[in-house]
Amino acid sequence: MAYVATRGGERAIEQAERLYREQLGTIDAARVQGLRDALPWLIDRVMGEASLYDADLAALALAQAGGDLYEAVLLLRAWRTTQPRIAIAAPVLQEDLFTHRRISAAFKDIPGGQILGPTLDYAHRLLATDVLGGADFVPVPVTPAPQAAPAQQPSLAAWQKAMGLVADPPRAEVATDDIPDVTREPLLFPAARAHSLQSLARADTGGVLALGYAAMRGYGNAHPTVNELRLAEAEVMVRHPSGVSFSAGRVKVSQAEVTSKGKSGQLELGFCATFGWNEVKVIAGATLDLNAGGAEKGSAVEEEFVLYHTEPVESSGFCIHFKLPHYVTFQSALDAMRGAAVADPAKEEVPA
Amino acid sequence: MFDRGTSDDASTHLSVLARAEPGRIKAMAEQVLPALGAVEVLISRTGLVMLPLRDTVKGVDFFLGEVLVAEAHIRAGGAEGYGMVTGRDLEQAMAMAVLDAARSLRLPGVPEFVRQEAAAQAASDDARLRRIEATRVEMETF
Repeated sequence: MAYVATRGGERAIEQAERLYREQLGTIDAARVQGLRDALPWLIDRVMGEASLYDADLAALALAQAGGDLYEAVLLLRAWRTTQPRIAIAAPVLQEDLFTHRRISAAFKDIPGGQILGPTLDYAHRLLATDVLGGADFVPVPVTPAPQAAPAQQPSLAAWQKAMGLVADPPRAEVATDDIPDVTREPLLFPAARAHSLQSLARADTGGVLALGYAAMRGYGNAHPTVNELRLAEAEVMVRHPSGVSFSAGRVKVSQAEVTSKGKSGQLELGFCATFGWNEVKVIAGATLDLNAGGAEKGSAVEEEFVLYHTEPVESSGFCIHFKLPHYVTFQSALDAMRGAAVADPAKEEVPA
Repeated sequence: MFDRGTSDDASTHLSVLARAEPGRIKAMAEQVLPALGAVEVLISRTGLVMLPLRDTVKGVDFFLGEVLVAEAHIRAGGAEGYGMVTGRDLEQAMAMAVLDAARSLRLPGVPEFVRQEAAAQAASDDARLRRIEATRVEMETF
């Protein structure tokens, strides 16, 4: 690849940026608040891919980018580099999650029961066109149950391990300071599991879906069934200077386990989790985790292929850089074609 | 509250303050501030807290991402106060720090404020969980 320095574009560049921003109009606090309130699932997706949890900033990024997700994620990833890293919270454990939704497609009678939570899974998808005619769409209120659901739900995987259905490998305790971090270290292969899961948590939803779907359709090694899907809130447990641990607040998280019958006679599980509520991403991501073991090099489910190609800032940035001037590279290709035409006059002439 | 091995009033108290309704905690801090005297601000900033999550398959801790927080640390009346809340509201973190210092100094009003906020938070959770319970599937086998 080669680049060439050119002049003459300054005015055009400035006006082009003005044209882009002029078309978006004035961005004020009310617009940002409106986006935050109206589009929680989109805000969640952006926070997950940006790997930065703050709904206000995610809404602002969406407003500034006019809804272009890759621009929004880039804005947030850039902004986070301006902030100091203050602390590392205590690891979030599944059994501590304030659970809003928790289902299993593999087991009907799971400990704790099946709780649908907020979902359109069984709803008709009808566009409420009357709204455009001035008739508001007013949702029917929930009829609360007399008793509250337990805030915490037991772990299905822990039950399966206790029953011998799933392998229960001994876990190595790692101090929070020593948890591998792809934002500070290069992603090398074979990747540490902490790097793989962190990369999937930050990955592009569409990219993870495309590769996960490929695996589900047969371009992988294992067909998934959702073992457990959970939408929840996690407490961010930090330390007071006195050493007392407390929650600085809650953040929304999603996690999925998918399962398939393994060669060992036990069930195998794949796992994925992310910031915000994003079911497609965690189910597809867990499918890729399930398929990663023993995947053929270069296949759609091989770890390096998956993790390199689903990084939203790198992949979108690489894609759109091709529209920037490549005059020298392209001219060199033309020169080569012309040279070949001179050497073989029978071939069609290449236009200048 | 989900605290790990330090389950005591202090942990619950701090968690309640961090989750207190921003308008109310700021108003409460304004009320107790005169009794604290001169306040030295040691820290007032936004920053990031890394949030690890434990994978349920192999038990590996990994980073889910970074949570934006506001942090405040003050010294007043011979006591220290600390606040950290999710989000970027420096005033909210400062209000928490003020009430934390006020609690160390046993100033009146703070325990009652925490009791009221704890009750409001419990009521909010209960209302949410009763809505969630309404979506429980009563599986019929046939």
